[in-house]
This record gives sequence, C-alpha cells and structure tokens, in this order.
Amino acid sequence: MDDSAKQVLRRIIRRIPSNKLQITLRKWECLSKKQFRSLDFTQPKWLICENLLSLCEENDLSLKHVTELEMIFHIEHPTQGTWYVSQLIDAEEEALTSDLLNFRESFKVHLKSLISHVSVKIKKHEDDAIWIRIAWGDNFTKPNHFKPTYVVHHLQTPYVFVTGLAAKHRPLLHQALIPSAHYGSIKDVHLSGRCLTALRDLLMRRYKQVFPEKHPRLLEERSPLPSHPNIENEHAKHAENRLQMAAEAFGDGMLPKLQTAVYKLETSNLLESLKYCVSSGMASAPVTPLLSSIPRKGRNYFVITDKGPGINPTPGPNI
Amino acid sequence: MSLLKPFNKLPELNTANILLVENETQFQKKLADTIVQLENDVNVIVRLARSLPLPVEIAEKRQRIDLVVFIVHLSSEQSLLSTEVSLKQLESGYFMGKMCFLVTGARCGTVPSERLTSLKKMAASLNSPLLMTEDGTTEGVNTAAQRVLNMLKISAGLVPMATGLYLSSLIRYTVPADPDWQDQD
Repeated sequence: MDDSAKQVLRRIIRRIPSNKLQITLRKWECLSKKQFRSLDFTQPKWLICENLLSLCEENDLSLKHVTELEMIFHIEHPTQGTWYVSQLIDAEEEALTSDLLNFRESFKVHLKSLISHVSVKIKKHEDDAIWIRIAWGDNFTKPNHFKPTYVVHHLQTPYVFVTGLAAKHRPLLHQALIPSAHYGSIKDVHLSGRCLTALRDLLMRRYKQVFPEKHPRLLEERSPLPSHPNIENEHAKHAENRLQMAAEAFGDGMLPKLQTAVYKLETSNLLESLKYCVSSGMASAPVTPLLSSIPRKGRNYFVITDKGPGINPTPGPNI
Repeated sequence: MSLLKPFNKLPELNTANILLVENETQFQKKLADTIVQLENDVNVIVRLARSLPLPVEIAEKRQRIDLVVFIVHLSSEQSLLSTEVSLKQLESGYFMGKMCFLVTGARCGTVPSERLTSLKKMAASLNSPLLMTEDGTTEGVNTAAQRVLNMLKISAGLVPMATGLYLSSLIRYTVPADPDWQDQD
C-alpha cells in the first residue's frame, strides 16, 4: 500500500460516522473474519484507522480496494453533497439493449480516449442503478482521489444524477456518457437536491399522485372527525376546500424530499408588477411580507427556511 | 356584512360559548381540546375560526357567543394584521368584557418588539385584557385554557356577583403612565 492509498483511506474513514463504520467495513469484505474481529470499534476513530491500515498492509490491499470502500459508503448514504440531474435526449433508433457490461466497457473506453489520467470505477446497485466513481487527473498529474465525481444512471431511463463534478470536467463526462448510453445529446433538467432518492422519485413519478377526477370525493369522506362534540369549526368548509386543493396539487401521500427551489421573477419593473398584482386583487390582501419586504428591506435575495420562531417544520418523508 | 353581536340571542341554560380566532390553526386546536377537557360543570362550546366575519350560512344555528379570544402569534406579521381586520367585525358590546387577546411568542428574542408594542396599544385603546401565553408546552396550554375558562364563566354570567364589565375595568390592559414605556419594550 503506497502513501497516497493510505491518505485516501484515512480520509474516507474520517468521513464515515463512527456508528456506521462497523457495518460499512463488513460490507467491504476485504478483511478476513479474524481480522475484522480484532478491530475494536469502541476505540477512538484515529486508533481504529491505524489498526485498519496495518491490516490493509497485511492483506496487500491497493488503492482500488480503498476506493471500493468509499463507493460502498456513498451508495448506502447518498446524501453527501448536492446532486444535479441531467437528461439524455434523442435516443438512437436502433439502440441495442443496453446492458451493464456493454455500458461499462463503452464508458471506460470513451472516457479514457478523452483524457489519459482518469480512474473509473463502476458498480451496480440493487435497484438497477449504475454507480460510477470518477477520479480526475489531467495530462501531467495522477487522478485526484480526494475529489471524486459520482454519477448514478439507471439504464432504462434517460436520467443521470451527478455530484461533485467540476465545470471543466463536465464536457468530458457528457461526451463519454452520450455514446455509451446510446443517446444523441444531454441537457440540464434544472433539478438539484441533497436527497438522491427524492430526486429519482420525483423524476420517475414514483410518489403517490392524484389524477384529476370528474367527481371529487365527498368532502365528509376525508374530513377528520372532530375531537370533541363541543368543538365546532366555523370555517370547516373552507378548510375542507383547502385540503382538497392541496391534495389535488400535491397528491395525498408523502412527497419526495427537496431542500431548495429557485424561482426567478424577471420583468422590466418587478416592483410595479407586484404592486399591480396587489392593487388588481390578484394577490390576496393583506400583502404577504414575501412581496412587500423587497422595497421595505432594500433586498432582492431571500432565503425562506422552516427554522423560524414558532413555525413547526412540517414532517417530511423519511427516505 | 354582518357584525357579530353579543346580545341578539338569548343565552342557554348552563352553557357558555367561546370563539377562538386564530389565523394559523395549530394553537387553536390544542387550546380547544384543553378547554373542553378542563370544564365539567358547565357545557362549554368552543368555536374555531380563522378570521371574522363568520360564515353567514350557519348564523341562525349559532348560539350567542359569550367570549371572543383573538390569538396573536408575535412571530408572524400576518397574525397581527389578520387580527386587526377581524376586530372590525365585532359589535361594540363585545368590548365591554367579552373579548380578550391571547399573545404567544412574547418571550422570543428574535421577534420584532414593535409588534408587541402595537398590540399593547391596540389592547389599551379597546380596554381589553391581554394575556401572555406559552404555546409550546403542555403546562402553557393548560394555564392559558384555565385563564380563558375563568374569564368565559364570568362573561357568560355563570359566576354569581360578577359581570363581564368587571373584566374590562379590572384586568384590561392599560398603558403605563411612564412616558417612555415604548422604549423599554
């Protein structure tokens, strides 16, 4: 094991939380049972790391094995960093059935013809997802294993999820991806977030949706029973309507976890337009602080979080 | 446009009606549950509303309302604005011991102090009580429910020798004589 492999291993161990270390190392399968038992996971992490390094020396493991460990951790915990989604378009008519082996070979060949110093590792995950780890170098330097790019692609879909990609490597990745997946080109779908499964579910419509019905269900059917006969809600009907509208727009079930959204309002004079919205009755009065605080605070960049006082964060789905 | 009137209907025997007005509806529900659980002697009917005026369709069925409680969350500007709008829908009779303000979040340091100041001014100008409550804890909700219930019994005429007029004269919020009380807030 050379120094760079040791450094990479140290860094990976540092990034894995202590409580997940044992289970991740077990999945790695590079240590014998006896060696695994000799590791004491109640020790401080740096000590475990030193013991692990000596075991790796013993087994004569290389950088390849170390990056394998990193991939295992990333696949199990895909919420490290922000994922960006791209969509492959113009599928080739006579596209061969793309299987993993073809894709793997073709992607490696294409990428290595574009850039000489690059290290690619491809792994298939249970749910038909292909995980690609790319460590980039350039013409004179070795691949940098400290800042790898992760790419996730589901073979039968046009979507590609990418995290940790530098702008200068983007064209290279795209050039390698497009022919190996048998498509004509690729475009950005303007979707990003920390939770990979949520992005996937959102794009592939895997969450519970509501289809517009001609005859809406009876309102009583979904209204919660009053907790006590002596409590009466004066605006029960309005509340029902609102609930129904919310369900029609967003569906009944749990929604995918998305952390941010960017709306860009562009017009020649935004403030005049907002004022018109309010004066013509398009926006409900009293004016929401979201619209009125632009002139009041002299700012046009706002971050809305659910950590404010008195606001309970809505329970999100546990994915 | 129909104003809410305190004396246009006859009261019912051993019954007290309370109306909780809150723009958001989380605290309202907790408070309503606690109020009906706390009181066993009197038939307390709690009505929940987001804002006034109340819908006219059920105006006939609705019993006379003995106490109107406006819940104001200082953390939200909208809550204060909505209360100001709703207040205009009350007939003047309610301001004689049949309404009060319930304020939450006054302890929170990040809330702009002007909101509390303007609410205090409003309460003082209407001669009405202003109760500070804690909506996050169970004890806070219990205390608030107990205090509101005591006032309700008086304003519904269920406490002998006491009338709602006492409420407005005895526990109303008044502006302190100190000229710079606004700065202290």
